[in-house]
Amino acid sequence: MIIKYLLKSIITNRSLWGWGVIFMLFWLLLGVFVFSTSVPKQMIATLSYASSYYGTITLFSFSTIAISISYTLYYGSSALAYSFRYTKLTPLAYFLSLLGAASIMATIMSAIMLSATYALFSWKFNFNLFPHQPLASLAISAISGAFMMVLAMALVLAVINYAGVKNITFVGFIPLMLSYIFGFGQLYITLPEYLEYASPFTAISSLLYATYGGFSIPKVFINPSAGTLNPSILLLSLIAWILILSALDTQLLRRIRPRAIEEARQV
Amino acid sequence: MLKCMLEVNQLRVVYGSNVVLKDVNLVVNGEKVVLVGPNGSGKSTLFKAILGLAPVASGLIKVFDNSLSNIKNLIEISTNIAEVYRIANLKVADIINVYCELRGIGNAQTFQMIKEFELDDTLGRKLHELSTGQQKMVCNILALNQSAKLLLLDEPFDNVDQSRRRRFIELLKRSDAELLMSTHEFELLRLLPGWKLCFMLEGKLFGMFEVSQLERLYISKGRLENALAVMETSLGIFSVTLDKGDLQVKTATNLSSLLEAVAE
Repeated sequence: MIIKYLLKSIITNRSLWGWGVIFMLFWLLLGVFVFSTSVPKQMIATLSYASSYYGTITLFSFSTIAISISYTLYYGSSALAYSFRYTKLTPLAYFLSLLGAASIMATIMSAIMLSATYALFSWKFNFNLFPHQPLASLAISAISGAFMMVLAMALVLAVINYAGVKNITFVGFIPLMLSYIFGFGQLYITLPEYLEYASPFTAISSLLYATYGGFSIPKVFINPSAGTLNPSILLLSLIAWILILSALDTQLLRRIRPRAIEEARQV
Repeated sequence: MLKCMLEVNQLRVVYGSNVVLKDVNLVVNGEKVVLVGPNGSGKSTLFKAILGLAPVASGLIKVFDNSLSNIKNLIEISTNIAEVYRIANLKVADIINVYCELRGIGNAQTFQMIKEFELDDTLGRKLHELSTGQQKMVCNILALNQSAKLLLLDEPFDNVDQSRRRRFIELLKRSDAELLMSTHEFELLRLLPGWKLCFMLEGKLFGMFEVSQLERLYISKGRLENALAVMETSLGIFSVTLDKGDLQVKTATNLSSLLEAVAE
């Protein structure tokens, strides 16, 4: 298994730390010091506010893993095509290694967000806002990392294998765009219930919200009275997405088409 | 029955509308072969096609009797083409570790050779951070130490200094593995007695000859009856003959200039 090398490659990716951690900590600081003026100074309200921030920011953070995975696959397409033929590496072993590496990285990022959310929000509001189920948060994060990986792999391999790679950058950013759309959507607007359950992005932010605050999951984070979502269904939805995309990924990986890096050049 | 190491039959590789390899035939079985041709003649593309990295329009490639499309986890072949070692964004030391693991072999010999070639300072750097020559030598060493039976070495001496060239050639000569090596440098041939020789030009492969025959090989304009091979190129038709002809092959520095001289 080459998981340790893939994990090393992901963990030492400075862009991932820059955009996935430092930039997200900046958002968190804005949430603590700039956008918090209208939050009632009550324990429940501040815990709900901190939970929604943790859920949304961590979702955005995970989406940067997807971007890293996309580029790893694109730049490594020749190496993978060669390795599946002329080394002992199998598509399944590579898939599982990358899945494991993405899950571990997501857990690390989530642990940082969890600690920062607890420390900053507790300090600002002067309440002990310790997460309700921190281990459950990390477990959801590991599953979320797996989802981001399988989504990124499906998108980028579909393009590598069956389309031109001119749009590879755009495709690599689709998970991030969807994360922002659904993340902000769940924060401010009432999405149709079926979409809330079907979307793995709302599942991630909702489950992280629930494990941090210990609350029922509101359909809209800023309006808890708008109704609630069933966490079990959200978790099942997320796992179903992972399973479906995993099946697709392993098939696409078997057919990976080596691409020259220069093919993606735009100008 | 012994398996044929490499068989290429009527291979065509096309990029867009550009036919890069034109009905190439080649058999390598228990010998060391050097392909000589100018830049752009299709040598690298032939290697990439064998490795499954170039789009095969038609023809057949068999490696150890396995058709290319059916090859999985066949560890009898290795290469020095850098792009196959970019499986992740890793430093050279980790790349060595990954590929030794993926081959199921120890890494001590590879690290020892890195040291012998005074490339220790590359271990903590990534492949793209190395000079062209360093990158080439690291990939040469990776290819040589993968316990493969057939090595595909694409221009292994490009930008490599004389001292390392000399030492690496000695290693290749002593290697138990068979080799298919490409180069555009005619001078190298003098260092490879006992090897087979093919010429590659404009996507076509001509030969096979013996490097030991180099002193006796001539190129003449036109199609001659006693030709060992006839080369149809955009410069015209040329015949490769033994012992007499228009120009002696060994006088050339590269194939293109030789043909141009004969054509004139």
